[in-house]
Amino acid sequence: MDRNLLGYKGVRPVFLAVGFLTLVQSLSILLLAKSLAEVISALFAGEPLKEQWGTALLFLLAFLARHACGLLMSSVSYRFAEKTGSAMRRKMMDRLFRLGPRMAGDQGTGTLVTLVLEGVTKFRTYLELIIPRMVAMSVTPVLLLVYVYTQDRMSGIILTLTMPIIIVFMILIGMTARKQMDRQLESYRTLSNHFVDSLRGLETLKFLGRSKDHSQAIAEVSDRYRSATMRTLRVAFLSSFALDFFTMLSVASVAVSLGLRLVNGDMTLVTGLTILILAPEYFLPVRLVGADFHATLDGKEAGEAMKSIIDREPLKAVALENAALSSPETSGGDEARPEGRRKQVGAHASAGTPDRSASGGGKSAAESASALPESVFAWNNSSTLSLQGISVRHEEGGPSSLEEIRLEFTGTGKIGIIGESGAGKSTLIDVLAGFLHPGGGSITVNGCKVSSLTDDAWRRQTSYIPQRPYIFSGTLADNVRFYYPEASLDDVSRAVAAAGLSPLTASLPGGLDERIGGGGRSLSGGQEQRVALARALLSSRPIMLLDEPTAHLDIETEYELKETMLPLFEDKLVFLATHRLHWMADMDHIIVMKQGRVAEVGTHQELLERKGTYYELVEAQLEGIH
Amino acid sequence: MKREGWFAPYVSSYFWRFLLIVLLGALTVFSASSLMYTSGFLISKASIPPENILMIYVPIVGVRAFGTSRAVIHYVERLVGHDTILRILSQMRQRLYRILEPQALFLSSRFRTGDILGMLADDIEYLQNVYLRTVFPAVISLIIYAAAVIAIGTFDVRFALLVGLYILVLVAVLPLVSLLVTQKRQREIKQARNRLYQKLTDAVLGMSDWMISGRQGQFVETYEADEQAVARTDAALRRWARIRMFLGQSVIGLGVLSMIWWAGGEFAEGAIPGTLIAAFVLVVFPVADAFLPVSEAIEKIPQYRNSLERLAGVAEGLTEKATGGTNGGAMPDGGESDRSGGDDTPPGLPDAAVTSRQLAHILIRGVGYRYAKEAEWSVRDLTLDIPQGKKIAIIGRSGAGKSTLLKLIQGALAPTAGAVKINGRDAASYGDRIPSIISVLNQRPHLFDTTVANNIRLGDPEASEEQIARAGALAKLGDLIAALPAGYDTRVREAGQRFSGGERQRIALARILLQNTPVVLLDEPTVGLDPRTERELLSTIFAAMEGKTLIWVTHHLVGAERMDEVIFMENGRVEMRGTHAELLASEPRYRRLYELDRPGYAAQRGSAAR
Repeated sequence: MDRNLLGYKGVRPVFLAVGFLTLVQSLSILLLAKSLAEVISALFAGEPLKEQWGTALLFLLAFLARHACGLLMSSVSYRFAEKTGSAMRRKMMDRLFRLGPRMAGDQGTGTLVTLVLEGVTKFRTYLELIIPRMVAMSVTPVLLLVYVYTQDRMSGIILTLTMPIIIVFMILIGMTARKQMDRQLESYRTLSNHFVDSLRGLETLKFLGRSKDHSQAIAEVSDRYRSATMRTLRVAFLSSFALDFFTMLSVASVAVSLGLRLVNGDMTLVTGLTILILAPEYFLPVRLVGADFHATLDGKEAGEAMKSIIDREPLKAVALENAALSSPETSGGDEARPEGRRKQVGAHASAGTPDRSASGGGKSAAESASALPESVFAWNNSSTLSLQGISVRHEEGGPSSLEEIRLEFTGTGKIGIIGESGAGKSTLIDVLAGFLHPGGGSITVNGCKVSSLTDDAWRRQTSYIPQRPYIFSGTLADNVRFYYPEASLDDVSRAVAAAGLSPLTASLPGGLDERIGGGGRSLSGGQEQRVALARALLSSRPIMLLDEPTAHLDIETEYELKETMLPLFEDKLVFLATHRLHWMADMDHIIVMKQGRVAEVGTHQELLERKGTYYELVEAQLEGIH
Repeated sequence: MKREGWFAPYVSSYFWRFLLIVLLGALTVFSASSLMYTSGFLISKASIPPENILMIYVPIVGVRAFGTSRAVIHYVERLVGHDTILRILSQMRQRLYRILEPQALFLSSRFRTGDILGMLADDIEYLQNVYLRTVFPAVISLIIYAAAVIAIGTFDVRFALLVGLYILVLVAVLPLVSLLVTQKRQREIKQARNRLYQKLTDAVLGMSDWMISGRQGQFVETYEADEQAVARTDAALRRWARIRMFLGQSVIGLGVLSMIWWAGGEFAEGAIPGTLIAAFVLVVFPVADAFLPVSEAIEKIPQYRNSLERLAGVAEGLTEKATGGTNGGAMPDGGESDRSGGDDTPPGLPDAAVTSRQLAHILIRGVGYRYAKEAEWSVRDLTLDIPQGKKIAIIGRSGAGKSTLLKLIQGALAPTAGAVKINGRDAASYGDRIPSIISVLNQRPHLFDTTVANNIRLGDPEASEEQIARAGALAKLGDLIAALPAGYDTRVREAGQRFSGGERQRIALARILLQNTPVVLLDEPTVGLDPRTERELLSTIFAAMEGKTLIWVTHHLVGAERMDEVIFMENGRVEMRGTHAELLASEPRYRRLYELDRPGYAAQRGSAAR
């Protein structure tokens, strides 16, 4: 059913235990059927009640044993499911935080969070159900059937014949239902989303003066949704109808055929009763599979979705060329301890950047050979960073986001990155921040040639301020000391003051301990930027990356923020990507991006005099609106 | 009272359907039980050599009939059940919509995240389980309970009481114990999971910060620790569920034993024929199956409470706000327009809305507004004369009072002091007529998940294809539409995802052009657009809005030179006002800001002067 199933850790003992318990359970069922039949037929034959207590007690024991087995089985599989589910989640979380914000953005925050929280639960339910169900399906009916055959061939034949009929019908109906679902999937989705869509657009409807009438539209769409759902359900419910119908019919046929043979005196009452009691039990495992079908399917899909994330290999920064590091004989020693997640080299191919994955398998030995020492990335006044032919392509076959970028940076300085949207500014920042492993080219840091900057040691040199910095739900102070939780309150106050947050802190009843972010006080866009700025200042890291920090702010806030920021940029290497031209006059160097390439590099004056791309941008803004 | 609001009314209005569903449910159990009963009877009867084969003919027919009928009845029951529930859901949706609609303009400030609306919609979906998973199974089990006790009572009242006791354990004692045992833990889990949800969303949104901080491993640790705690509580719940199941089954086992004892005794005394022993004993199993799910059904009750409370909370919160507002003279529109329904043209001004189609003169005189008596003034001492065709830009920080001012002009808020008049009438008195005078283009106009044409048509439902195309052309949608697979009939996808921010604004622009009002409010429509898109969109807007009054809240000064007046607001007051040229000449602060939007402007001017 699911090939992954056997790969989970500790699944074999679970199968063994469940198999054993199922066997005991099936035997208990036989025993309880037989003893119950005996008691009844003895009573029927007129034997006194008190002589039957022994057999009746046996029935009770068998009955309890049967349910005790059920209890144990569900306990065993629950524990296994819980353990496996947690392990999966843990792996996925580790992977998520390695793959970085790009991937989270592609998948959607909501989808990811739901996958972690709901998906794991679903997957757990699946694991919990699938093992006992599979085992029960393959053990119980067979055992019971064999027993029935030894007692009465005719009943055995009826039961045997019914099973394939049930399965064929269920599959056929299931397929029809699915086809019908697929056919109207699109309209179905629209109908079911209509209500949420209406609520979200309520303000717009109100502006348009359509909000009153729209209530009618909701009624109509709800009604259409109902008819569509009922059309599907009529077919979907048929499958459980078929299951019900054929099992009941089969039990009835067994009963009637038993009755007819009893009349002829071919059989004893005990046998007849035993078989009658066993008949519904014979079908029970199939019915349970049918009942849990959707839950297991959901869980299986959730499991696959998680696996696809876990199998994504985050590309690590590796040294490509360095005299001290690249001696081939070290590779043997280091390969002996590949990290756990490196187990599947084959899975490497599913990683984000196609250019590299082709050679991924071959390279991995060399890659794991060269762990990067922390010191490589340490940044100071004389450090150098150069990008050689860096290119990034987000989708295979899609347009390049960055192509053949060659740039060099030394020591400190303010570097502006400008261009229109889609020119590759953010992608370049992502590469520099170490969020993104470029598909091609190499980077040299302090003389050491590496494949990318996606390394914790590099990230420890940088601070990052995006357009909308995220404010975690917590106190203002905790948000400020996010990079350095151990920072003293004095340091925090200093950073807060330098970022121009003092007026805000003074106005908050709780001061630095006021809760902000989700569930707390919400801040304006400008204040959020200042919190991020304080965060960066406190960390006192030598490199600062800003991605469009002010474009969404009103112009006065933008002005004030700029006034605060500029002095703080001194003595750091600052990369500021924006489409707001006014920043450029204050930059030491400007990189002008156009369609994924570097169009020009120079200072503000140089670029104006050159009358190239930069000049055009400035001119366009001066033109104003016609 | 609270809970009745979203539950009881539907029970009474769908009473007959509910009755049908419950009866069908009981019949399903009855068929399954009768199959085993008649089968037991049949076999016993057949084992005594009958004088005539016809003697067992009736039970044979019974067995066959019951064997087939269960599936059929169950199928019908499920269909009727779902159909009814979907009808109820439809009514609940309409009801929630009607509660939210009057307050549409205040929703975004009341519920900061747009997702609360999605949550409310989910709550309604979730409530279908109240009926399908809890109410129906519980009521059906009670019917079977009564039927079983009465049936046995006709033979032996004392044994009927014993059976009644057994079943009582299954339908009342176990469920109630279960509820008591699990309630607290369920609540804990729910709260803990909400916290986890919050925590994880936080972390994913702030992922770049976690990565830069190098502390992502730490986060995963603490998150997993929290998950473990939830898992422990969950394991306890599951353990109880297993034990409960086992206890239930034990009661059934004892029930079977008692049945054997009773039936055997009755037969020995000659009170019942021997053929009924097997029938009585075998019927215990299918009947008991109807009682086992009750515990689970009852256990779910606390889970619904959250949804019900949230829905009730929304209804209450909004009415409260509306009445509170009216007391303060703030919100004349909320409650009133609800009562008067669709037709709320005030008497004495029959043609106000019609004449306003062409012209609107907005007069704001000494207006002040504050949200509560003691609160800070959001807007104060504001006087503005906006004759038809005037174009003004309003700029200020967040919290300067811009949104409040717009709401005052729209009549969504009535001023605390002074007056806002449109054509001599209080803006607030227009109520639902205001969209025929004022249209709005805001930061994120909602595109509905339908075609482009339908989205534009919302501006005027009677518009013809040509009118739509004309509005589209005015909004410069031509090239965009030509590139779409089905032109105007292309679907925009959820929230207009097919299009970029600038394109979405153009579609929304076409929509308000079709709405064709004399006044247009622009509420920061270019936030988040890059400079080129911003300039292009603005020039399209200005060109299309010839002759209309334009009130434009903006965060940048691009295009300010096209306005008749620029107003700077701060802390609810007007800080500077004048034409672009005046401000540029007299206000150094304005010059400084303008320089940000037009870098090199000073240099250019300087060189031009030279």
